[in-house]
Amino acid sequence: MENGRDRDAGMRRLRAVLEQVATPFVSVVIAMAIGSVIIWAVGYDPVKAFSALFAGAFGGPRQIGETMLRATPLIFTGLAVAYGFRAGLFNIGAEGQLFMGGLVAAWLGIALAGLPTFVIIPTILVAGALAGAAWAFVPALLKARVGAHEVITTMMFTFIARYIVSWLVTGSLKAPGQIPQTDPLPVESTLPRFIDILPGLGTGRAHLGFLIAIVFAVVVWWVLKYTTLGYEARAVGFNRWASETGGVSVSATTVKSLCISGALAAMAGITEVIGVHGRLFDQFSAGFGFTGIAVALLARNNPLGVIATAVLFGALSAGAGTMQLQANVPHKVIFIIQGLVIFLVAAQQLAHWILHPLKGREEVKGA
Amino acid sequence: MGTALLEVREVTKRFPGVLANDKVSLSLAEGEIVALLGENGAGKSTLMNVVYGLLAPDGGEILVDGNTVHVRSPRHAIDLGIGMVHQHFMLVEPLTVTENIVLGIEPTRYGEVIDFAKARADVAELSERYGLFVDPGATVRDLPVGMQQRVEILKALYRRARVLILDEPTAVLTPQEVRELFAVVRSLVAEGLSVVFITHKLEEVMSIADRVVVMRDGRVVGETRPSETDTAGLALMMVGRDVVFRIEKQPSTCGDTILEVSDVSVLDERRLEAVHSVSFRVCAGEILAIAGVSGNGQTELVEAITGLRKVAGGAITLAGSDITHASARQTIEAGVSHVPEDRHRRGMVLEFDLAENMILGDHRRLPFARHGVMDKAAIARITTERVAEYDVRTPSIRVAGNALSGGNQQKLVLARELGRDPELLVAAQPTRGLDVGAIEFVHKQILAERDVGKGVLLVSLELEEIQTLADRILVMFEGRIVKEFAAGEASDEDLGYYMTGGGGDKLAGEHAELSGTEVD
Amino acid sequence: MLSEILTPDLFASAIRIATPLALAAIGGTICERSGVVNIALEGIMLFGAFMGVVGAAFTGSAWVGVIVAVFAGMSLALVHAFASITLKTDQVVSGTAINILAGGLTGFFMEVIFHRPGTTDPVARLQPVFDLSGPAGGFLGSAWRWIDTIFLSYTPIVYFAILIAIAGQWALFNTRWGLRLRALGEHPRAADTVGISVVRGRYMAVLTSGALAGLAGANLTLEQVGSFTEGMTNGRGFIALAANIFGRWTPGGSYGASLLFGFADALQIKLQFLRDVITIPSQFFLMLPYVLTVVVLAGVVGRAVAPAAIGKPYEKG
Repeated sequence: MENGRDRDAGMRRLRAVLEQVATPFVSVVIAMAIGSVIIWAVGYDPVKAFSALFAGAFGGPRQIGETMLRATPLIFTGLAVAYGFRAGLFNIGAEGQLFMGGLVAAWLGIALAGLPTFVIIPTILVAGALAGAAWAFVPALLKARVGAHEVITTMMFTFIARYIVSWLVTGSLKAPGQIPQTDPLPVESTLPRFIDILPGLGTGRAHLGFLIAIVFAVVVWWVLKYTTLGYEARAVGFNRWASETGGVSVSATTVKSLCISGALAAMAGITEVIGVHGRLFDQFSAGFGFTGIAVALLARNNPLGVIATAVLFGALSAGAGTMQLQANVPHKVIFIIQGLVIFLVAAQQLAHWILHPLKGREEVKGA
Repeated sequence: MGTALLEVREVTKRFPGVLANDKVSLSLAEGEIVALLGENGAGKSTLMNVVYGLLAPDGGEILVDGNTVHVRSPRHAIDLGIGMVHQHFMLVEPLTVTENIVLGIEPTRYGEVIDFAKARADVAELSERYGLFVDPGATVRDLPVGMQQRVEILKALYRRARVLILDEPTAVLTPQEVRELFAVVRSLVAEGLSVVFITHKLEEVMSIADRVVVMRDGRVVGETRPSETDTAGLALMMVGRDVVFRIEKQPSTCGDTILEVSDVSVLDERRLEAVHSVSFRVCAGEILAIAGVSGNGQTELVEAITGLRKVAGGAITLAGSDITHASARQTIEAGVSHVPEDRHRRGMVLEFDLAENMILGDHRRLPFARHGVMDKAAIARITTERVAEYDVRTPSIRVAGNALSGGNQQKLVLARELGRDPELLVAAQPTRGLDVGAIEFVHKQILAERDVGKGVLLVSLELEEIQTLADRILVMFEGRIVKEFAAGEASDEDLGYYMTGGGGDKLAGEHAELSGTEVD
Repeated sequence: MLSEILTPDLFASAIRIATPLALAAIGGTICERSGVVNIALEGIMLFGAFMGVVGAAFTGSAWVGVIVAVFAGMSLALVHAFASITLKTDQVVSGTAINILAGGLTGFFMEVIFHRPGTTDPVARLQPVFDLSGPAGGFLGSAWRWIDTIFLSYTPIVYFAILIAIAGQWALFNTRWGLRLRALGEHPRAADTVGISVVRGRYMAVLTSGALAGLAGANLTLEQVGSFTEGMTNGRGFIALAANIFGRWTPGGSYGASLLFGFADALQIKLQFLRDVITIPSQFFLMLPYVLTVVVLAGVVGRAVAPAAIGKPYEKG
């Protein structure tokens, strides 16, 4: 009897996991199919395009390294958005927090030149993350105190962050020359690449940030599942009234959660600056904060799932250049696919609606 | 009697896992008031939603004036002359009375521009004719519940309803408003309308209905006339067994003061004073009940005691320590448990599994958590124990809260709140919407809590519940405690009298009238 | 210096800058009054702006471009309506998907059609409606300059936005359409039970907001700039949402709030030209509308009451 119950529970779990994986998978396939149709409709060869994309993403160690490189910021922004969603907050402004993280990283990377790496890097990580948290703090406070919707406020803070970075890289942090960018960071302020440690890997530009990102994903997963901090965030995300009744401070949890989300987003900016570019300039993020939304939704806001979905979007982004080069398809098609993926994952009823339009309606009526 | 105005023949309606209506038949003649009596979940509202076109039946037919009709939508029902006043009003609160009444069939000029002058005149004429006086220009949000109900009735009349379905119309009304409603219903019938009156209150059936149809578990189990039966007979039909169970209760032994509320004032959302200088004590080993009509400050008082709402004035102490300005968390840690009136909103997180729900409020403390890290094994073990102890029927502690029935959800909340071993239990409407078995269980648990020497503050709208459980009764009206009774000292009529503002001289006359109307 | 700043073209430029915001904000008002949040205004505006240029480029007619922009806006809005009304998707998430999709579509087709990223070729623009001449000199000349600049200098969509604000304000509170729209967003079931189709009403409202946001895009490209640049809406859709809230979910209020943003923006542009006098980096001026949006939200949201059923899919029965 007990055994039977255990087995039932096991089956249920298995089915739940399968269902969780199936929808995102199908969504990606459909999104890519629609993308193919668009590519085909404007006169390109979708087979050529996607095989070029695949080759550009996984064709060799250098390409795999490039995918890891592109996945790194997306893991962080995906975690940021997912953590917010779990607490019932939509951090659409991860991009802005990312900018602040990158800014602090560049500033400290230059200012602390000469100190040993094991001092500089942790300092940059902590200070940059705090900067991201601080950038999320005002929208968080406004949400908690007056109910100002975080979608608008964090978005506005993204624009403000961009202008601040633009101002600094054209002003006080600007390196000599025409280009609006900072001086390059000294080597002790940058994250080593994998090939710096094991030259045989051949993973090109991929850097240690990828491993840091994976560690962060595991930590965020653990926090959500095993700590009171995560428990309270999820409780507030589901039902703020019951949380309040259970002694959870809704406003404190809101502020904490959005700030944690901001800190995670900032990690993306930090690792881009100290791991990839080695300097700051105003276009250093390719919309990672926004792609993080797709990453999080596709992962169903599961931090471990974020690793997989970030790698997927990283691969799309890494392969897009090759696709443009070899098949002439503008790489922006991946943003179309991204938008479609979000849409399809969110519209869980879509499959149901297509398969059973009448039944679906009847059930809704009875609900 | 001729053809029935409305006839329902063997209507069947299934929901996933539930047969909500099983070949239900019912007829209604012109000028007749039929009461549809049954417990929560008996299928009354489902049936009327089918008649009103909100739900499609799985079988059976509906006849209007002897012709079979397929009611496709509420709009179609209205066209057929069927109007319905829902338990939760279908009123758009920021709109005016007139706007609400004409919504959907607005008188217009040039096709689009609403002729508000004509609309107001029509509404005024209607309220005049049926004696349903209400200000056509008032915003619905600002009206008291009884007035809002009139707007609902006017809405149906404006659509020329011949049949009016009233779904639990007295649930939200004060005894005076109930009286006024009954007068209105009688005048409607005098004008030739027919009324279906859905209720689970026996007294109302006896005083208003021409005929009673009793439903239980989705079936019609009997039909009678008030003149041919009494409340006991109706109750037997409705519940299917003798309901006159009385829980055995020992006299209370009042120990130390657990809760002391002194001169407490509380503001509501609109920053108006909802509780005015209320004072009382709850001692160890007693159940203090607060009786009152909904919306007289009970919710605000409970929220103030449990740390969910700021106290505007006065002091609250728990076993001698001041908790006036304690947060909800501090209140819980001080030993106050709370069974909230709205289970789904405040009582539990429906998306959480049972284990996660079981620790809500204790989730930061041992044995569930240490230094911010939760002990999943301890949580699972204790949840399993409590689920067994409180008889929560569930396939596993890993299912989400919304997979449980209402009764089991409430048992879960009780298991959590009592499992914490509090000094004081604050229970607000602990049996709302539960079936008889669950009610009995909840009542026994509350009594057991008292018997081990805890303090219990019970807030309820149900007089029966109060009479069953209370050792002392306070009556609350418009934010004040207006009367105190010892257990067994007050009849329902006495309570009803004070609940509606009695006690002043001018209401003395109404007291007699009230006692006359209410049937035991 | 004040006379250098408070010139008639400051006010005229405020009204011009306010126009796309106001159109989108009124679209947002209509949409949210029906109970659907439309965070996709940004993407719809961007798509409208782009498609307007495409239409104008292919036909040589700016007017055709405007029509294409409106239909483009409606087509993206239809996606949002389908997702949020029929499929009951989270409305904010659906809106976000459309915003990203719009960025991708415009960037992709820009390269397909114009063979380069960044900015398109210039296309035909709509001309000012009036071209009157008045007295040239003296007091009369100065007065005429004010009147001509502030009232008579605009392109058609600018006037249309004012018209829509006035007509929309009146219609919301005096017509059957307005009454039903208000009911939908407050208590859709109440509307349903008196025979008003929630689904149809909401679809119409979302499509209307799409048309207006598309038109806002057309104003940007076919009246203000004359070409399309990737990402050129630059958060205007979000600012428009804030304007709608600040305007308390009314068309007139939305226009007024947009005018406030327009004025702030016009002022910062003006002040940038005085850079010799004021030595503040241009980025701080450019930030101003965004800062103002946050300030406005912080200041009013607590007191502004949104339609009760906003953002919730309607479940029948």
